[in-house]
Amino acid sequence: MAAQSAPDLRRARRPMPAPMVWGGGMLVLVVLVAVFGPALSPHAFDAMDITQRLQPPSAAHLLGTDEFGRDVLSRMLVGTRLSLLMGLGATCISLAIGVPLGLLAGYYRGLVDETVMRAMDVMISVPPIMLGLLILAVTTPTIWKSALAVGIIYVPIMVRLTRSVTLELASAEFIEAARGRGDRGAFILFAEILPNAWPSIIVEAALRITFAILLAAALSFLGLGVQPPAADWGLMIAEARPFLYEAPWIALAPGLMLVFTVVAINLVGDGLRESLDPRLRRQTS
Amino acid sequence: MVAYLLRRLVYIALIVLVMSILIFWATQIMPGNVAYMILGDFAPLDQIALLEEQLGLNDPITVQYFRWASGLLEGDLGQSLIMQRPIAPLLGDALANSALLAGISIVLVALLGIWLGIFTAVNHGRPADHVASIVTYVVLAVPEFFWCIVAIMLFAGYLGWLPATGYAPLADGLGVWASHLVLPVLTLVFGLIAHVSRLTRSSMLEVLQSRYVLAARAKGLPERHVIRRHALPNALLPTITVLAIDVGVLMGGIVVVETVFSYPGLGRLLIFGIQQMDIPLIQACMVVVTLVYAFANLVADLLYAWFNPRIRYGGAVGT
Amino acid sequence: MTGSPALEVRDLSINYGSGPAPIRALRSVDLLIRPGQAVGVVGESGSGKSTLAMAVMGLLPGAASLGGGTVRIGGTDLYAMPPDERRELRGSKISMVFQDPFTSLNPAIPIGRQVAEPLVFHKQLAPAAALREAEALLAEVGIHQPARVATAYPHQLSGGMKQRAMIATALACDPDLLVLDEPTTALDVTVEAQIIDMLEGLRERRGMAIMFISHNLGVIARAVDEVCVLYAGEVVEHGPKETVLHRPGHPYTKGLLASIPRIAERERRLEPIPGRLPDLGAVGRGCIFAARCPWMVERCRREPQPLVPVEAGSARCWRTDEIRDRPWSVPDTTPAARIATDRIVADGAVVVEARDIVKRFGLGLRLERVAAGAAGGLPFRLKRDAVRAVDGVSLTVRAGETVGLVGESGCGKSTLGRCLVRLIDPSGGAVEIAGSDLLRAGGSRRRELARTAQMIFQNPDSSLNPRRTIAQALGRSLKLAEPSPAAATRARIAELLEMVQLPASYAARYPHELSGGEKQRVGIARALATRPRFIVCDEAVSALDVSVQASILNLLAGLQRELGIGYLFISHDLSVVAHIAHRICVMYRGAIIESGPTDQVLEPPYHPYTEALLSAVPKLDPAAGAGQRIRLSGAVDALTDAGAGCRFADRCPRSLGAACSTAAPPLRDAGAGHTLACHLPMDELAARAPIFPRTDSPLAARGELV
Repeated sequence: MAAQSAPDLRRARRPMPAPMVWGGGMLVLVVLVAVFGPALSPHAFDAMDITQRLQPPSAAHLLGTDEFGRDVLSRMLVGTRLSLLMGLGATCISLAIGVPLGLLAGYYRGLVDETVMRAMDVMISVPPIMLGLLILAVTTPTIWKSALAVGIIYVPIMVRLTRSVTLELASAEFIEAARGRGDRGAFILFAEILPNAWPSIIVEAALRITFAILLAAALSFLGLGVQPPAADWGLMIAEARPFLYEAPWIALAPGLMLVFTVVAINLVGDGLRESLDPRLRRQTS
Repeated sequence: MVAYLLRRLVYIALIVLVMSILIFWATQIMPGNVAYMILGDFAPLDQIALLEEQLGLNDPITVQYFRWASGLLEGDLGQSLIMQRPIAPLLGDALANSALLAGISIVLVALLGIWLGIFTAVNHGRPADHVASIVTYVVLAVPEFFWCIVAIMLFAGYLGWLPATGYAPLADGLGVWASHLVLPVLTLVFGLIAHVSRLTRSSMLEVLQSRYVLAARAKGLPERHVIRRHALPNALLPTITVLAIDVGVLMGGIVVVETVFSYPGLGRLLIFGIQQMDIPLIQACMVVVTLVYAFANLVADLLYAWFNPRIRYGGAVGT
Repeated sequence: MTGSPALEVRDLSINYGSGPAPIRALRSVDLLIRPGQAVGVVGESGSGKSTLAMAVMGLLPGAASLGGGTVRIGGTDLYAMPPDERRELRGSKISMVFQDPFTSLNPAIPIGRQVAEPLVFHKQLAPAAALREAEALLAEVGIHQPARVATAYPHQLSGGMKQRAMIATALACDPDLLVLDEPTTALDVTVEAQIIDMLEGLRERRGMAIMFISHNLGVIARAVDEVCVLYAGEVVEHGPKETVLHRPGHPYTKGLLASIPRIAERERRLEPIPGRLPDLGAVGRGCIFAARCPWMVERCRREPQPLVPVEAGSARCWRTDEIRDRPWSVPDTTPAARIATDRIVADGAVVVEARDIVKRFGLGLRLERVAAGAAGGLPFRLKRDAVRAVDGVSLTVRAGETVGLVGESGCGKSTLGRCLVRLIDPSGGAVEIAGSDLLRAGGSRRRELARTAQMIFQNPDSSLNPRRTIAQALGRSLKLAEPSPAAATRARIAELLEMVQLPASYAARYPHELSGGEKQRVGIARALATRPRFIVCDEAVSALDVSVQASILNLLAGLQRELGIGYLFISHDLSVVAHIAHRICVMYRGAIIESGPTDQVLEPPYHPYTEALLSAVPKLDPAAGAGQRIRLSGAVDALTDAGAGCRFADRCPRSLGAACSTAAPPLRDAGAGHTLACHLPMDELAARAPIFPRTDSPLAARGELV
């Protein structure tokens, strides 16, 4: 009532945050590679040539070749699409399952809440990679199964986040007003609460994409994700392990690309957080 | 506090129960037949049938579960199909090795992560903060397995300072023992220190904005005291929760790191089991991992309660 | 050197932000406080009063910068000394008590240590000695068990106790200047009265200088000698409180005083200040108040106004002498602004009838220690705790009538209000709206009925969805209530906005583009959209500044006269309720302990609780009703069920002892529909002087001040 200074009625239009600009640029690059990767790559990603195995970088093979003589650059470029799809796919799965559950649990409370949250507690009481291993160990691994496994791992986090935002919003007076005028649950959840919950969810989702990419790569690395001969960064690094000393480029190229991609998405996520998250938008007054 | 502890223990028991059911059920749908796996693909049918009978594979799944679960409760983790040995001692050794790795790592992560977080929060906006911020940012984007690869290339290959893989018992000498631990621990803690420090920094910054810190400054207390006694205890609460989550991340990391460095721990045993389709081994490993993780979370909860007077001391004091 | 002032602020300017147009939060502020003197700083939101406090403490946030001027504490320039010396000064020579005791104490440190810290760091006391000293300080601020409280953590104390502990901390090093920033705003009125009494005693004993910041003129009137009025970052008036509060020289002060509802003059028309606070990012040359001033002439816009000495004080207005004796009066824009003079004894139809409403809230399961062997050998048993937030309340509201529901925090008044519109389902009882049972209706019938009962909320910031335009917010209510073509809906939205005196162009705006008062108007329009017959106003004006509050009160009253709506007006503020309500219900721990027509409830016979509540209301005019002060001890224990006896027995200053705490009090009829639940004989209750003797007649001329 008293501690505020002059009421600022115009929402300040601030310039785009710096991480957003940098990350945005980097991300555009990665996405372009993902879209045009196969077209850009000088060789087919699975074209073997035993005579050319373990070649260091040269004009013909800018990033050298692997143990089967496949072009590392081509494999790295083609792998971009796979990684991004994996990250996006897994995040979409966790959003699709987690957000509705979180909304329901946070708004209806009571038994719904208890049931959902106890189920999430069970899921969360297993270390993330174990859940992935459990799912992938019992079935034959494919790309979509790893995306599904990684997506399911992050469901509890999405549920918890959505629920806590919903809880906060559900006690807001405008929600009471909506109930007072006779609106039904579905309208309140999706038209009143969700638009206000999106900023926090988007920010978290951006973060999850990178976690998903990293986790999927780790699973591939362990041989439980994408299977050879596909060009996947995690798999490429795993395949490079026996040749670390004589052909380090096979492991370094996909590894650095992975780091570049993750940094790009994280930067964009932070930029989003800065401009979307109401908790960080507090003005000093 | 006692009631709180009791509630948490009951809760853990429930979680482990549910997980054991899940693990058991999931491993049942794994491809492959246990009897064939033991006797080989070309074993005669009647022997297969006999073995299936002996192993109780024809019983209903619930009966099989109860047989397995009651074995667990008595400490009987079953027989490894591949190694043809009881699992319990195998697992015991592996667990001890992994615990060593995890213990050193989590202590390092907690100490260095929290210290770095406070340091950067206090120096908010100064060059040191910016540098730390950029470094932790990049470090967070690097997966453990890539750290492993780079570490091996650099320290074992290029510099030749440290052994690339394996494990040496303490009996081989302190130096040898330690040299085998350096690279696995380093690769494990790098990312986690970055994670913990960033979160400690942000919760510290939030607490430094709080009314009670302002009130403490209005009392004219020295800034050191304000930070250590007023801000830190409150900023550590979210960090404890994060540390508990990071124990889970650490377990994932251990699986990777043990595989890469051929370190004889629980993670490598589990991956070995999965690769070889050794169902009892997979089941046992997963149950143990669940149990360890649940207790790590219990410790975090208790720490949280200890640091939070709202939980430690309940009700109101009179007029 | 003797006689150097405790605080001397000269020509102080503070800016927020940088760049071409910083927000000029304080401009050329002068303030002088001599040793032992108490000066009140009064202002509404955006006046800069908290910024002034922070500047005096040397604790300005990073975004603020000193635009010029000096702050001297005991003669030394605060901003000329090195930061470490400034820090030494804080907590020893100057100390501060913050507005919100709930967030100002560190949750992780025991109270005693927090109080003792200044002693350890400024007086180099050993921790044990400092702790003993801290207990003595806690005792001095009126805490009964200082040793126990010293070991407690903040969450274990009530708000009042926390604030006492904050004050004890501030007193620790016997400061020369005590800065109190809205010290009682977050507290209930009975607790506020205790704290103000305690501060009064402290001033007599310690004789320190006090800077008392508040938006509440009643509190200021009791606590200080001189008043300094801040408006939009400038001191507009300064002088002895008798002058400033009763013969103000600045139009803004006049407007402020005219906006305040008073119990003694409850039928006086409230005259709000039109317009809104100027943009502090673009301050012009002329008088800062010109745009809102009824006496504004061309010269006011042209010339900057200096603070000129007039009579006993000073005012920033060149027409002071001319306007001093003129009443504040603004053109009446409200359709029917004054309810009070025609306080109709509502004989309209009953729109809401609530019978025996009970609402229990579960507190969850807990383990309770029991005597060994009592429950089958187990030393624990599971107990499900529940609290009766509302415990058998009946009330009716008629068409065109306002029923005021007053009580302190936790008494259950908001829960009751929500039960009546079925935002909460009561655990028992019945609610009839226009003859139909609201609680037993289901499905669409329930929603339809619920639309006839609407609610206006407290917090303008959370009562509108930030992502929906005003048109969307209103349109949704219209669509649900009476589906109609888009053009008709648009017309009706414009009509609704006009009813709450907002331009039709506001329909396209988002809530963040509106001021607090405007948002509250939209909240009212939304409630009106479904054509309700009954509206619950839950603290509908509590979050607003007094000048805005006055215009909303007038608006609500006008709409009622026009539309014949029944209001249940829930508030903790007795003055507001006295002004707007036809009947008043007083609630305590879940039950209505007194109810009746406004004039009857506000005059003896009083229920002892009502009497204590009224007595705690700070009086703007110290001369009026010098009746004895009745102070309650302790705080409401909202979480335990009342026993069989009177629920007020444990705190009642007139308790008869065992009779009160064992038997439920009878509901007594005091005539004219006035009932109260008390064991005391009616003649004893009636033999009291009125706490707020009427100073207006029901036909009082408008705009008359005290």
